[in-house]
Amino acid sequence: MANVLEIQNLSKKYPGGVQALQQLTLTVEAGSIYGLLGPNGSGKTTTLGIVLDVLQASQGTYNWFGQSLKKETKRRIGAILETPNFYPYLSASQNLKIIADIKLANHREIDSVLQTVGLFPRRHSAFKGFSLGMKQRLALAAALLGDPEVLVLDEPTNGLDPQGIAEVRGIIQQVAAQGKTIILASHLLDEVQKVCTHMAVLQAGKLKVAGRVDAILAQHDQVIIRTENITQALGLLPQLPQVSNFRQEENYLMLTLANGYSSADLNQAFFQSGIILSELTVRKKSLESQFLDIIKDKNTSPA
Amino acid sequence: MTNLLQIELRKLLPYRTFWVILLLYSGFLLLFAYASSHITINGQQSGAEIYQFPGIWMKLSYVAGYFNLLLGILLIILITDEYAFRTFRQHVIDGLFRADLVAGKYLVVLLVGLIATIVLTLIGLGFGLAYNQNITPGVLFSGSLHVVYYLVQAIGYMSIAVFFGFLIRKNGLAIISFLGYTKVVEPLIHWRLDDKLDQYFPMKVLSSLTPMPGQEVLDSLTGPTTALNPQQAILPALIYIGLFYALAFLVLKVRDL
Repeated sequence: MANVLEIQNLSKKYPGGVQALQQLTLTVEAGSIYGLLGPNGSGKTTTLGIVLDVLQASQGTYNWFGQSLKKETKRRIGAILETPNFYPYLSASQNLKIIADIKLANHREIDSVLQTVGLFPRRHSAFKGFSLGMKQRLALAAALLGDPEVLVLDEPTNGLDPQGIAEVRGIIQQVAAQGKTIILASHLLDEVQKVCTHMAVLQAGKLKVAGRVDAILAQHDQVIIRTENITQALGLLPQLPQVSNFRQEENYLMLTLANGYSSADLNQAFFQSGIILSELTVRKKSLESQFLDIIKDKNTSPA
Repeated sequence: MTNLLQIELRKLLPYRTFWVILLLYSGFLLLFAYASSHITINGQQSGAEIYQFPGIWMKLSYVAGYFNLLLGILLIILITDEYAFRTFRQHVIDGLFRADLVAGKYLVVLLVGLIATIVLTLIGLGFGLAYNQNITPGVLFSGSLHVVYYLVQAIGYMSIAVFFGFLIRKNGLAIISFLGYTKVVEPLIHWRLDDKLDQYFPMKVLSSLTPMPGQEVLDSLTGPTTALNPQQAILPALIYIGLFYALAFLVLKVRDL
């Protein structure tokens, strides 16, 4: 599939001397929901700021749809960066008219995007009277104007209540279902795990890991097995390529799967050796513990 | 360009600050014109003498020159607002480039300059027609070239303000720097420097566009001052206007938004 965004060796040093980003290389494929994950200050917003043309990169290049950034390319991208930015004295629909003019989008779209984010009844109210959640929704509406192929969302659920978060998540999935690409920066692991197909983890401006969410999560899956003849199993385990690590608990064995093997491969290996398992349970590691492992492991290099 | 103008109008027309400053400008000019026509000298009202065509255009343009600062402050407010609301940033994300941001504000400068010039023309016509008899179109518009010089001067003042707005980004500080430069720093330089050189400084060039009426009389008493006449000042003024836009663009280009 074609690449929507390619980032090559991107570095950014702020005037104060902070190295916010170091040699970042990333590729976002068309149709993916790409999560940029990392603690606060890890370089997510800096990365998005550079590819959205508001920050100057110290080094490195990027391109959208295989081209450098042009007016036509910008119109194919809808983006929210950090805070919702609007004229406080203008109403929701007046603000969106300005953005529609910039994107050369039809003004008839304004009512429908306002309906999508649930702000249609408040379209004539001034932006300054909006709650944080409403401002966030208006920003999402603005990003949807012009029917962009790519949505770039920086912390889109910031400041929303649980219902709002669920709604925004719904909108994201709805947009993704139309085959659009979404790039989502978040420090909320749960959010990334629930909606993203791909992810990259940043820490202190460096890429820690990047790839498919299920592949990253599948790494180091833990498997619990029970069997009648534990001693025989213990004898076999060191020889199995499917297992990278194991330990014995009271009356079961806790195994860690090696990369590229599934629990089915493991089951088959035991069966062939004449060991019948009475229980086999895969314990998916949560993204949270996975994430903490990635962040903790200083030596992890990008895959 | 028409798209950029439309975008700027969508921000300007509903903005109260824009109207308040334009009203202040028109009000001050009107008040000044009215007050100076009611001074009684030797039992005669001055209006009849001051507001004769064609001299009226030169006098009004000179007076209007004092209120250009208001227009400059308006432009600084409009630009620093965009930094405060972070809407410049959003515009660049949504599809504009940095050159468009500067061009958009340049269109506002042209628009405000035209409005100020129209206000000046209407006031001139109003007072002129009230104090003149036997008016022919030829008399009416002779000397009206001063109005065009005023337009260039207003654009020049606002261009300097635009530069300070883009450079400093914070509204209070930008306004103070703009006033400080135009009213303190450059006059100090003029004071220290030879007239032959300082006649080419931006504020001096701009003020040469609308010279003080009766300067010739003053010169015959105190000796001639070296300053450009309006015709000579127009080219350097246009060069300065171009230069301030180029500088504003450069500042925007090298910095993060």
